[in-house]
Amino acid sequence: MKEAIIKSKNLTKKFPVGNGYFTALEDINLEIGKGEFLGLVGPSGSGKTTLLNIFGSLDVPSEGEATVMDKNVSQLSHGESAELRNKHIGFIFQSYNLLPVYTVYENVEFALLLQDKSTSERKKAVMDALEWVGLTDKVKSKPAQLSGGQSQRVAIARAMVKKPDILLADEPTANLDSENSHHILQTMVELNKELDTTFIFSTHDEKVMKYLRRMVHLKDGKIDKDQLITSL
Amino acid sequence: MIKFLFKGILRDRSRSLLPIIIVSIGVMLTIILSTFIKGILGDAIDMSANFMTGHVKVMTKAYAENNKQMPNDLCLLDVSKLKNELRQKYPKIDWAERIHFAGLLDVPDNNGETKAQGPTVGQAIDFLSSDSKEPERMNIQKSIVSGLMPAKNGDALLSDAFAKKLGLDIGNDFTLFSSTANGSMAFQNFTLAGTVSFGNSGLDKGSVLIDIVDAQRMLDMQDAAGELLGFFKDGQYHDESAETITKAFNTSYHNEGDEFSPIMFRLKEQNNLGSLLDQSKYMSFIMMSIFIFAMSIVLWNTGLLGGLRRYAEFGVRLALGEEKKHIFGTILIEALMIGIIGSGVGTCLGLAISLYLQEYGIDFSNELKNSSMMLPSVHRAKITSEAYYIGFIPGIIAIVLGNALSGIGIFKRQTAQLFKELEV
Ligand SMILES: Nc1ncnc2c1ncn2[C@@H]1O[C@H](COP(=O)(O)OP(=O)(O)O)[C@@H](O)[C@H]1O
Ligand SMILES: [Mg+2]
Repeated sequence: MKEAIIKSKNLTKKFPVGNGYFTALEDINLEIGKGEFLGLVGPSGSGKTTLLNIFGSLDVPSEGEATVMDKNVSQLSHGESAELRNKHIGFIFQSYNLLPVYTVYENVEFALLLQDKSTSERKKAVMDALEWVGLTDKVKSKPAQLSGGQSQRVAIARAMVKKPDILLADEPTANLDSENSHHILQTMVELNKELDTTFIFSTHDEKVMKYLRRMVHLKDGKIDKDQLITSL
Repeated sequence: MIKFLFKGILRDRSRSLLPIIIVSIGVMLTIILSTFIKGILGDAIDMSANFMTGHVKVMTKAYAENNKQMPNDLCLLDVSKLKNELRQKYPKIDWAERIHFAGLLDVPDNNGETKAQGPTVGQAIDFLSSDSKEPERMNIQKSIVSGLMPAKNGDALLSDAFAKKLGLDIGNDFTLFSSTANGSMAFQNFTLAGTVSFGNSGLDKGSVLIDIVDAQRMLDMQDAAGELLGFFKDGQYHDESAETITKAFNTSYHNEGDEFSPIMFRLKEQNNLGSLLDQSKYMSFIMMSIFIFAMSIVLWNTGLLGGLRRYAEFGVRLALGEEKKHIFGTILIEALMIGIIGSGVGTCLGLAISLYLQEYGIDFSNELKNSSMMLPSVHRAKITSEAYYIGFIPGIIAIVLGNALSGIGIFKRQTAQLFKELEV
């Protein structure tokens, strides 16, 4: 395995519920190498989103630790974790979450606004990203005018425009038909090869699984099976 | 980023329209109310100044102390000399002598016997000099109910109601009895030239208005007057200059030991007008505070509603690596932009309506029929420079405050929690 970009050690996450706790993740030990194309696979409620949130430094473990790009997420300040996300991590959501008032172009550009880039640099990056996902003809459209597949492609462009080291995608195909799902997975496979971005999906979608090169099965918050798929 | 936020505001009407409407209405009402109050207080002050206090007023010390009794035995002497000196020293001020006196008005029948009689308060002003501004100051021409302004010595004006009560018609003669400055009995015949009504019950009860020269002759007050009033030529009261002038005058003319030495008072020192002036200042301050308070609460709530709708957006922005602090900052910047638009619109509307109220006013004569306050019956707004910011600034503060309060909700929410709102 290449050097690990994400590591977790005895990671446990508990949520306060009523008087006690609900254990959403228990004793997760994982090492994810740079450039992997990995899926967290499991039924609804198995803890996939919770784990992605911790890897994305949006949440912290209750016990154990998670290290992302050599940084222990539990020890990051608000500013440091924001910077980590800003520079190194891209997110894709099941429900796209494009900003409805902005155009496709602006939605993608938004991701770059927090970085000191000139307008022309931003423009080039945005157009490149839209080209990766094949939407250069939709720059001026508003999210409401796009199909689900197109929206998710914009979301990919937005997540990829800053060329992050890690892309976290939470059930990205759950709202898409099979044609669009395949299209999106193909795009991500290409980007993974081209940019060496580490892709981590959460999914319980069969269509996604055949693209994955590693599957980590979660069940009731525990790793059930960690499977390398070498055939591809 | 600013450009982005601005686009967001323009495109997302639900984010901006309601707050803009709320802010503009609030700003507009504040401006209208404040210019209206300013106008009414200003008119009250003007009217008091014109009828009673002047912008500054010179009396003898003794007269000032017994002002209410109109003690003409304590009047100012050598008034024309004093007036000339003052004219030269203070070229920005017009000076006018006035005499007030109490007396008895007697209406004779054809045989010279008393037909009707009544106590009266007399006011003598300069009606007849060609350059006199006094009739205009007291708004006599417009207050005349019947007849004409006095045109020659011996002409007099009476309160309309008083003349009716005495059964006097225009052109009728009557006799005024009073006491001279030396304490002996004074009487003189006058002709009723016209009747007046000032729309103020204090002034309209039983007054007689005669020319100052007639009064001086009748009361044995040659070159003397009860009061010498000064008016700034621009018609506005300037408290600071009035204070400087008053101090300078009192230093050079007033002698503590001499009861009859002249002493000057500025408007603010007379008839509680100072507190009225101060009140009008506090009023603005209080109105601004109430406005900011009330508007902030309303905008806090609209901000909360808008914010709820935007949790998804905030979640995405957090995911994109924006700090909560930064998001909070952009909420404030948005508030500032909305505030500027809303306050701008509100200020324009407020000024437009105030301008209308300044030109045309609202007629309150029915409501004020029996008021003894020195108030004109048509109330007008008055636009001062204050009107340009009295609504504008509070409007901006209110929305920034309102949005800050609702934005705190974002701070309080766990990052992961905000993020959860993204899952559907
Ligand atoms: N903030 C929370 N408070 C309480 N329980 C939570 C919270 N977040 C997630 N959970 C619980 O943790 C479990 C795992 O949730 P999640 O990671 O969203 O699962 P998945 O994404 O695999 O469907 C679920 O049972 C869920 O109800
Ligand atoms: Mg989930």
